[in-house]
Amino acid sequence: MTAQHLVETSDLSTNFYTFEGIVRALNNIALVVNQGETYGIVGESGCGKSVTVRSMMRIVQTPGRIDGGSIVMYLNPEDKQKGIEILDRSEVYMSSIRGKDISMIFQEPGAALNPVLSIEQQIAESYQFHRMGEMLGLTISRLQAEAPSSGPAKIWNDVRLGLLKRELEAYEAHDTLIRTIDNELYRLEDASDQASISRKRELNHERDRPVRTSLLVDFVRRIPFLRRYRHPLERTISTEVVDLLRSLGIPNPENIAKRYPHELSGGMQQRIVIAIALACHPTLLIADEPTSNLDVTIQAQIVDLIRELKKTKISSVVFITHDLGLVAEICDRVTVMYAGDVAETATVKELFRNPLHPYARGLLEAVPKETQEGELTIIPGAVPNLIRPPSGCRFHPRCKMKMDICEREKPETIEREPGHFVACHLYTKDASK
Amino acid sequence: MILVLAGVSILVFSVMMILPPGQRLAAYVTSERVTPEQMNAMIAKYHLNDPAPIQYVRWLGNILTGQFGFSVTAKEPVIKAFDDYFPTTLELVLYSTPLIILVGVWLGTLGAVRKDSPADHFTRVFAIVGYSLPTFWLGLLLIMFFYGFVGIFPPGVLSNSIRNVVTSTGFHRYTHLVTIDAILNWRWDVFLDGLYHIFLPALNLVIINSAMIMRLMRSSMLESLGQDYMMTARAKGADAKTLYKRHARRNALLPVITVSGLTLAGLMGGMVITETIFNRTGIGWWMAEAATQLDVSAIMFNVLFLGVIYVVINLIVDIIYAYVDPRVRLG
Amino acid sequence: MDTPSQDRPIKAIHPRWQELSFTAKRFFKNPLSTIGLAILALFLIIAILAPVICPPKYPDPYKIPHAGWQIQPSPPSAGHIFGTTEEQYDLLYGIVWGTRSAFRIGILVVGANLIIGILLGAIAGYFGGLVDEILMRITDVFYSIPYLVMAMALVVAIGRGLTAVIIVMIILEWPAYTRILRSDILVIRNKEYIMAARASGSSHFKIILKHILPNAMYSVLILASMNIGATILTAAALSFLGLGSQTGTADWGQIVSLCRNWIVGLPGHPFAFWYTVFIPGFVITLFVLGWNLLGDAVRDVFDPKLRRK
Repeated sequence: MTAQHLVETSDLSTNFYTFEGIVRALNNIALVVNQGETYGIVGESGCGKSVTVRSMMRIVQTPGRIDGGSIVMYLNPEDKQKGIEILDRSEVYMSSIRGKDISMIFQEPGAALNPVLSIEQQIAESYQFHRMGEMLGLTISRLQAEAPSSGPAKIWNDVRLGLLKRELEAYEAHDTLIRTIDNELYRLEDASDQASISRKRELNHERDRPVRTSLLVDFVRRIPFLRRYRHPLERTISTEVVDLLRSLGIPNPENIAKRYPHELSGGMQQRIVIAIALACHPTLLIADEPTSNLDVTIQAQIVDLIRELKKTKISSVVFITHDLGLVAEICDRVTVMYAGDVAETATVKELFRNPLHPYARGLLEAVPKETQEGELTIIPGAVPNLIRPPSGCRFHPRCKMKMDICEREKPETIEREPGHFVACHLYTKDASK
Repeated sequence: MILVLAGVSILVFSVMMILPPGQRLAAYVTSERVTPEQMNAMIAKYHLNDPAPIQYVRWLGNILTGQFGFSVTAKEPVIKAFDDYFPTTLELVLYSTPLIILVGVWLGTLGAVRKDSPADHFTRVFAIVGYSLPTFWLGLLLIMFFYGFVGIFPPGVLSNSIRNVVTSTGFHRYTHLVTIDAILNWRWDVFLDGLYHIFLPALNLVIINSAMIMRLMRSSMLESLGQDYMMTARAKGADAKTLYKRHARRNALLPVITVSGLTLAGLMGGMVITETIFNRTGIGWWMAEAATQLDVSAIMFNVLFLGVIYVVINLIVDIIYAYVDPRVRLG
Repeated sequence: MDTPSQDRPIKAIHPRWQELSFTAKRFFKNPLSTIGLAILALFLIIAILAPVICPPKYPDPYKIPHAGWQIQPSPPSAGHIFGTTEEQYDLLYGIVWGTRSAFRIGILVVGANLIIGILLGAIAGYFGGLVDEILMRITDVFYSIPYLVMAMALVVAIGRGLTAVIIVMIILEWPAYTRILRSDILVIRNKEYIMAARASGSSHFKIILKHILPNAMYSVLILASMNIGATILTAAALSFLGLGSQTGTADWGQIVSLCRNWIVGLPGHPFAFWYTVFIPGFVITLFVLGWNLLGDAVRDVFDPKLRRK
């Protein structure tokens, strides 16, 4: 049974244009993340793990730029076999899938949270960006159920309901429009004739237009006093936020929601970051070294949390770390990266049983074992400068098994065994094996 | 805080003690002509030859009971002179300060958001030139062009005809601020005339002072944009407008608050040049006269007043800052 | 991270020299800083060559010669390239020798402030305690005083003249320098390499000199370079108000004040006397601009946060 792909990158290149030169961070890499799996990416600092996932979400920081290759995502809920090339899509489209279909959690939760906004405000944002229609619907039903029967309170309630319904209409209309456009875009995805291309461009342009509520609503929203009509909506979102926090095991969620990031501990902050990421039930959660800055005990809690969430709420997780122990604990498949190249990809069991790439082997040997005696084995040398990377295979200066060809040619990735890929000249020579 | 004010008072007092008793006497006389005998008699009467600390205590007592002495340059008691001159300054400050802050913040944000674009370069050049311009020169140039060449925006506070209206009995001076009083009296001709005279000095102040805020806002905004929480916001799917307004700008405004307060305080005290050039009789203009003629009581009063203003503004800024930045709040 | 690949030999460059050349390169990368430096160089040359360009007529070279005794200024002509201002003071002479005054004021005031600021700031920051408290209260007091008003009063009290202006500006500005240096020292004081130095037995004085000051210098140097411009503007303002040098001295602010009666020109010729207003003010602006550009460049280069962009 072949697993269904979720994200496929091929030939991906990302470069950083800095003062000192062009940093070739990703060197034509290829990765596949399947649906329903926990996928690990390991490597030393600076090898390109973060850049890879940031490229996937297209949030690479300046001066970085994705300079080539393709990233295909299979996000269509109706037809999981239909992928879209996200490098062709607009920034508005990316904004709509970030936080909703793909989410990311970061290494330093303290820095990842905005210090001047409360926890509630920051989580509520996710709802405001992606689940507005739903929230409006909930609010309207609640107001209709609780409606006072007469008097000025009833009038005010009717006004509120009217305005909120207008907003809901706008969102629903927008959603329908998006769905229609998306369906057509899916159909035209692989078409490359002139008519289709211009049609696609037209559709994308149309899709990018912002939600248009009526002028009345826009006007009323700007008047400070009348803005109060939105309070029930804010309360609905608040309740959802508190529920979300509670479901993540955060004690006293109402209190925590009102607090500010600097008042919380590192572990709690990371849970909040996770809450933000999960608010809209993403299909893919990317965890970029989420535990590297936390104590070991907290680390265990966060890892457990992610494992739980994988069972219930999220479909797939990409877990980045430099800790092989963590990989062994929670990942199904893993990629080992080195200096912007993919060295080896395999299931966790396979990798630990039979590491093929010399670098992967070196990593595994370097981990101190129970029966360790004498000195620890290390990989000699240091990570190369990516402005002037080594020629051919980027690992060759440090490789014990280096051959002449390694200096000249970059090795191709071959599938040594089913599902076990490696990029090393040791194995390309006898490709027939 | 009280300590600081006390320190200011001591400092000012010791400066004034450098002067001989004869000059310091001027604070106590109510007419201009005194004979040498009268002078000596008064020197003795007001204990101007006593040791400094005793004089300080006596002076302090006077201040605290509201006796501020007589201003030689204004030819009336200091308090009354202050009453006459302060509103003019206050009016100019009230018109300039919001504009300075708004222009500075707007251009600074623009520069940061569109970094390295032509707009950015233009605002940066504008800022650094504005920062380098001498206030007095810009004022003179503005007068030369607008008043000398075009013939509009004359110096002064009001034209003569309007001044007659304002000082007439039918015109109620509630606040002594020309433009506000004009609205309250529903006299639009007075209002427009007031604005007509305020425009040029306000422009002068705005050009020079917004430069600093612009530079600060730009660098603050750039720093804010590079922070990790911006990445989180993008990863959430925030659109560009929200990113800039809610996340970057709110954080970037924090240092600007402090500087705005300082600018405001500095404006009050630094009106000297602007008022002198544009012939506005405010406390700055008064101080220019007072300093050149060593009008002791006037100078001391004003320094104390401005010191109090500075302390009060700092307090307000601190409160605002605590309100905006949750990291600073206590408890 | 900077291990070169095995193909290139490693050159042994002393780290200090490397930093210096890195700094110089960064400095000149920005066109604005080159412009600033060029402007200042131009003024420096003029200042040095002043006796050659405009030979002095009086024993005191700062007294501008009269070209006659008419009150009304005369426009640029063959003998007077910039024209003359009120009472026929030659503008060119005033501008050229004013360059020297400007440099003198800027460097003296900021230099003295730097020295005082570093001394007091170091003492307050390093030793802390009561000394620090007292010094901070004193600087607080100075901060609350309105600068211009106080400066005017002090200058008059001491006795007018450029020297008085310089002294007064030093008196009023040292607190800012002291505070900046002190706050930097507070940060550095707690860093580990200082504790290491104490643990190995260095004396206080040596620690301050060798370890703390070189690292704390950056902020105060940035402040100084950015402040020279403002200092010169304030000095010019004081001269403009008549508190600096006497009428007819080669001081830019002074020269500007001579134009006040003539800014509206003649009836029908609003710009008749534009040169009296425009030229001296423009020179001041240019000079300050040069210093400001330089200050910006210094800040961009030395600010540790921006350094490795």
